[in-house]
Amino acid sequence: MTTAAILANPASGKDIRRLVAHGSVFDNQEKVRMVRRLLLGLARTGVERVIYMPDAYGIVPRALNSIEVPLLVEAIEMPVANSQEDTIRAAEIAETLGAGVLVVLGGDGTSRAAAKGTREVPIMALSTGTNNVFPVMIETTVAGLAAGLVAANRLPREATCRRACLLEILMNDEPADIALVDAAVYTDLFVASRAVWDMDKVPRLFMTRAAPEAIGLSAIGGQLTSILPGEPRGLALTLAAHNGGTPVTAAIAPGMFATVHVQDMETMLPGRVFAVEESPCLIAVDGEREVIVRRGQRAGVRLSTDGPLVVDIRATMARARDARLFTGPANGKNNHEKRRGS
Amino acid sequence: MSLSKEKMVAMFKTMNRIRLFETKLQEFFAAGRIPGFVHLYIGEEAVATGACASLTDTDSITSTHRGHGHLIAKGGNLKLMMAEIFGKSSGYCKGKGGSMHIADFDLGILGANGIVGGGGPLAVGAGLAAKYRKTKDVTVCFFGDGASNQGTTQEALNLASAWKLPVVFVNENNGYGISCPQCKSMAVTDIADRAAAYDMPGVVVDGNDVLAVYEAVNEAVKRARKGEGPSLIECKTYRWRGHFEGDACTYRCDEELKEWIAKDPIPRFEEKLVENGVLKADGVARIKAELAAELDEAIAFAEKSPLPEPSALLDDVYA
Repeated sequence: MTTAAILANPASGKDIRRLVAHGSVFDNQEKVRMVRRLLLGLARTGVERVIYMPDAYGIVPRALNSIEVPLLVEAIEMPVANSQEDTIRAAEIAETLGAGVLVVLGGDGTSRAAAKGTREVPIMALSTGTNNVFPVMIETTVAGLAAGLVAANRLPREATCRRACLLEILMNDEPADIALVDAAVYTDLFVASRAVWDMDKVPRLFMTRAAPEAIGLSAIGGQLTSILPGEPRGLALTLAAHNGGTPVTAAIAPGMFATVHVQDMETMLPGRVFAVEESPCLIAVDGEREVIVRRGQRAGVRLSTDGPLVVDIRATMARARDARLFTGPANGKNNHEKRRGS
Repeated sequence: MSLSKEKMVAMFKTMNRIRLFETKLQEFFAAGRIPGFVHLYIGEEAVATGACASLTDTDSITSTHRGHGHLIAKGGNLKLMMAEIFGKSSGYCKGKGGSMHIADFDLGILGANGIVGGGGPLAVGAGLAAKYRKTKDVTVCFFGDGASNQGTTQEALNLASAWKLPVVFVNENNGYGISCPQCKSMAVTDIADRAAAYDMPGVVVDGNDVLAVYEAVNEAVKRARKGEGPSLIECKTYRWRGHFEGDACTYRCDEELKEWIAKDPIPRFEEKLVENGVLKADGVARIKAELAAELDEAIAFAEKSPLPEPSALLDDVYA
């Protein structure tokens, strides 16, 4: 049965960056509306079943309140912990249940959690978070079409998906965590509210991609060079404590700019370990203080080309157009319309 | 996060002071030694402590029926609190108000409040006064998930934003309004979502992580002092005891309680402090012993204080 999975994070878009910066309050009802349109898109493509991560708000069940779709929609059977563990677990289970695509609604942090759950099921990350570099902002109706085409294998995989890079966080030489976009060494001892905004506490910054139009910590690298998503190289920056080096100003959070002093810039090639000199410290992954480096522990960061498979929505839709999947008399109707007409 | 070691130790003490105070009241109520109802704050200590850590004596708080933790975190006098709860004439309200009416204007404690949702309008009033007087003082309005459904709370949020008042709304979402679970009384799961309707920042934090609460409220207080208006911070937490002492808690299961006890905010903070060298194990023991002695003094003060005289019955009656 052609299956798509939806992992909508009810907690995304609500952290302290609404206070320290100017992030939007992303309410869950908006996620419901996004999922509703996503389901309508999926239903047009041959997807037969949708499985979803359960959550306390009931994002997907609420999305079904006002639409009828010819889809079998089922919750993934799992305990709800109300933490990022839910996303990781749901992604793992979705792979075992044969999902052909994983549609993730959240920010960079949610995308990272999904990638911790599976590297093999193509991920389509849609933005509902704060600093969104990995997920895309796109109308979910169209995203649903693209996700459905991938799930139903209606187009060659190489035309629709690409493998992303990631950063492996090493603790005593063993992989301990990952980051999809950036990892920042943070000279504080407490995770607390998780977000990173005090750049005086960031002496080292690593990233898998860099773009001048990006937001978040990787935007700093984006003002120095460009690294495309999936390109097998990353960027390591050493920041000076105060003045010195090259001053770089970038938008590190919505409505928030920081000027840092870049002392050194190195290309990260896959497999090379960049040692974290600070100890104790924290390592923030994709903008969230997450990994605790205790005194005496040896931490490092390494670029890997073995990241998650990512759906390229634009490429998928272009290929669908070229294949005339939505052109001509036989292609304009979905199963739902056929059923109603029969 | 710019918190000194001394400040973190003070916060640790406050959390333990609240826990000890409430645990003792639990014993006293069960033994029939105190009159009236008490609504205990056990399990929620991180919220009051983290929120009040950014406030000065001239800043204000409005509290709730579950107010002991707020009052202690804002510097309330344990002797006067205990005496009031014992109904003694030496108490904060001369023994006539009890648990839900304790106030100390000198410390900016504008009162516990027996009315669910009663604190919001008071906080807006205090915020308006501060703005009018140009004092830069901030008011923290504590309110529960049940109160967030009251019109008074929504009116307060609206007016605070419309008038850009220095008020920080700290929601303690413990999942239940008396015995009614949030899912049966509310169309949303995150009360912070409602901030968008009032054009103010809305943030969700782990209410059992005192540093997470501190960081969020500290930023909100800074905004308020700069004249940037109110904020809404939702702290997800849980009360270990019933709505009131004596509540059989038939509306929730033991597993749920156990899950939250495993997230006890006090050992969580203690572990972090010890791990990072802020406190040593013997320091923790010493603090707990000091707090126990402090509480014993408050209890002794309350016990030996006299009850109000019958002749004082009509004193302080204003209407």
